Amino acid sequence: MLQGQDLSFSVGQRVIFDGINIETYKNELVSIIGPSGVGKSTLLRVLGMFVRPTRGRVLLHGEEVTRPTPRIALVHQSIATFPWMTALDNVKLALQGRGLSKEEMEERARMALEVVGLSGFERFYPKEMSGGMRQRVAIARALAGDPYVLLMDEPFVHLDELTAERLRREIYDIFFSEGSTLESVVLVSHNLNEVVELSDRVYAMRGSPARIVGELRIELERPRNQYNPIFSEYVSELYSMLSIGE
Amino acid sequence: MYGGLIIAAAALATFARVLAMMGLSIVTGWLLGYASLRSRGFESAYIPAVAVLESVPVIGFFPLVLIIFVERIGGPLGVEMAADFLVFDAVVWNIWVGIYQAFKTVPRDLEEVADNYGLGFLGKMRKLYVPYSIPRIAANLFPSFADGLFYIMASEVISVGVHTYEVFGIGTLLTEYVAGGQMAGIYYSLLAIGVGVAGFMTLFRYFAGASVAKYGLDTAAQIRRRERPAPRLGSSAWVTLARPMRRLSRYAASAVLASVARPVRSVSGRAPRLARAAGYAIGIAILGYMIYSSYRLIAAVPAATWSELLSDTPAMLYALAVDYGRVAVITGASFAISVLAGYYLATHVRASAIVIPAVQTIVAFPPPAYFPLIYMATYTYMDALPGGIGAEVYVFILGFLSAFYYVFFSFWMGVQSIPVEFWELMDNYRLGFWDRLRRVVLPATLPYLVSGISSTVNSAWGGLMVGEYWPGIVPGRNLEVNVGLMKLLDVYVSQGYLHRAAWASLLFGAVVAVYSLLFTERLMNLSKSRYVVEEGIFAA
Repeated sequence: MLQGQDLSFSVGQRVIFDGINIETYKNELVSIIGPSGVGKSTLLRVLGMFVRPTRGRVLLHGEEVTRPTPRIALVHQSIATFPWMTALDNVKLALQGRGLSKEEMEERARMALEVVGLSGFERFYPKEMSGGMRQRVAIARALAGDPYVLLMDEPFVHLDELTAERLRREIYDIFFSEGSTLESVVLVSHNLNEVVELSDRVYAMRGSPARIVGELRIELERPRNQYNPIFSEYVSELYSMLSIGE
Repeated sequence: MYGGLIIAAAALATFARVLAMMGLSIVTGWLLGYASLRSRGFESAYIPAVAVLESVPVIGFFPLVLIIFVERIGGPLGVEMAADFLVFDAVVWNIWVGIYQAFKTVPRDLEEVADNYGLGFLGKMRKLYVPYSIPRIAANLFPSFADGLFYIMASEVISVGVHTYEVFGIGTLLTEYVAGGQMAGIYYSLLAIGVGVAGFMTLFRYFAGASVAKYGLDTAAQIRRRERPAPRLGSSAWVTLARPMRRLSRYAASAVLASVARPVRSVSGRAPRLARAAGYAIGIAILGYMIYSSYRLIAAVPAATWSELLSDTPAMLYALAVDYGRVAVITGASFAISVLAGYYLATHVRASAIVIPAVQTIVAFPPPAYFPLIYMATYTYMDALPGGIGAEVYVFILGFLSAFYYVFFSFWMGVQSIPVEFWELMDNYRLGFWDRLRRVVLPATLPYLVSGISSTVNSAWGGLMVGEYWPGIVPGRNLEVNVGLMKLLDVYVSQGYLHRAAWASLLFGAVVAVYSLLFTERLMNLSKSRYVVEEGIFAA
């Protein structure tokens, strides 16, 4: 459904990544892993057309994407919520310009907050919330726009381990819950445990310019337990993909 | 006569006055900043006093200056001191507060190192406080220079009654050339000012970059923008440092500090009890002296004069209300133009890279210097307008030229400070221009806008002071509005009614200070409590 074809990106003369082909399928969470600075976040932005590739194109349901669209929603690494808007208003932002009445917007925003477990916090300002709650607001905002694809750039990196763990446990069900329009999620992370816990499929990026050096399907029952020996094997395999030749 | 040498010397004299007053502001700022660190009593008198005094536009001090320096001291020295005092008042406040804020935010670790090695007053100043304050000072050089230049042009020639006092400088020369219709002299003088302004701007730009590189800790710009380039936003040391406004420079700096979250000096680092008591004593003594002096001044004024002043008061207040209307129009126009142009420039890197440095240099060029040329070229058309509309248009133009760039730059800088994540979200949800402005850009820039509007209002008064009553703006013609407090002030001074001018300026100062403290500061506090865009990004 989301395809990146022959994607290349350069800054000046320096080629960051080259010849990247990537594809997601329905009800699938796909992760992109790689060392710091390899261009994972940039690739994610190219997939949403927030940054234009030097070469290649992105297709959503077979149609070329030429500029950012609410159908491909981005969730940032640095949790971005507007401090002068309540949680509800932050979510309603994703519903602007869609011809909805005020009541409809409010209803849908409330539902999105409910999905991420923030019922009762609609009138709270971001400053009054914890980091985990803020990230839930950001996810609710992304979901409220009825996206087909969610792009997540290290979404748990600024949360404490306990909060991140709790959110990771819930998030897969939130994404692919009944009534959600979401068809796939692309997650960028350098945390291999997190990747194995959440992903259906993983692309590994490495090199300079970076290329896709491996692809791994993770077939483990959910919820996944990181103390399961098979879980550890997947982590080791991903580690090997990234460290081959080093 | 307009020999090149005289023009160059006069321009140098004018620039030297501004630079000397900036230097004096810096040195006194270091001493006062250190005193506030050591004494809570001094600090609690110093900071509120600065807040009140800086909210009074420079022209509010004009009659006071005339009475003290021109009348009492008199002679060339008195006139020189009067001009210097006005420039000092224009340049000092942002430098003092910038230094105070720098001193208050010296990292505790560095303070402890200085204590560890037993550094005394001079050692700490030389090794720690002064270097730490350099980037803040550099950030304030541009607005100080521009403000100082504006008032030096207006204050080198002072007419009181039948006497005209003047100091040697380019403002005086220009006045002579305009009165004599010597166009070549006018052009060469403007050229000399232009060369000086461009030169000093280049110097300040270099100094700002170098000072941040050498003395700055990690800056917010680097932290906020982190690893990703911001594709639509230009940024450079100068961008973050070019702050042609008093409060804005402080706001922007405080945002920097907030995001870095450095530990600040603890109260335990203060002076011992004896020094604190001495600080309180000095503060109380100064306050007592001011109250006593005020009492003596009031008692010395004859009852008949008081009666005359009180009967003039309603007319003065009406004229002040009319001026507030003018200021509102100037500020509204500045705001509208600034939002549209500032947004365009902030979102178009290439246009911004060319236009912003050019505008920065042009706006430092004092409008009173070139305004007669605009008047000369257009007054025949304006004369065709009914009533006093032509004069109103000129006052509007002068006020606008003097003030619009404060809100323009503040808004532009505010847009620059919006995190790239927010731009991506606006793109992601395809917000239109008005939705972007209403929901994100205006709220995100509110603290900057409040600062900019506040500075615009203050500077607009300067424009009105110059434009409402300008006798001999070109040979044989006066620029004059029908009603306005600034005109009244000018007329009182020129006719020698200094007591009336002093009373009018006291009323003006009081109203403006109250307005500033009740309205501007509250709005600033509100914007700081909710509309701080940096707080929208949570990054542990």
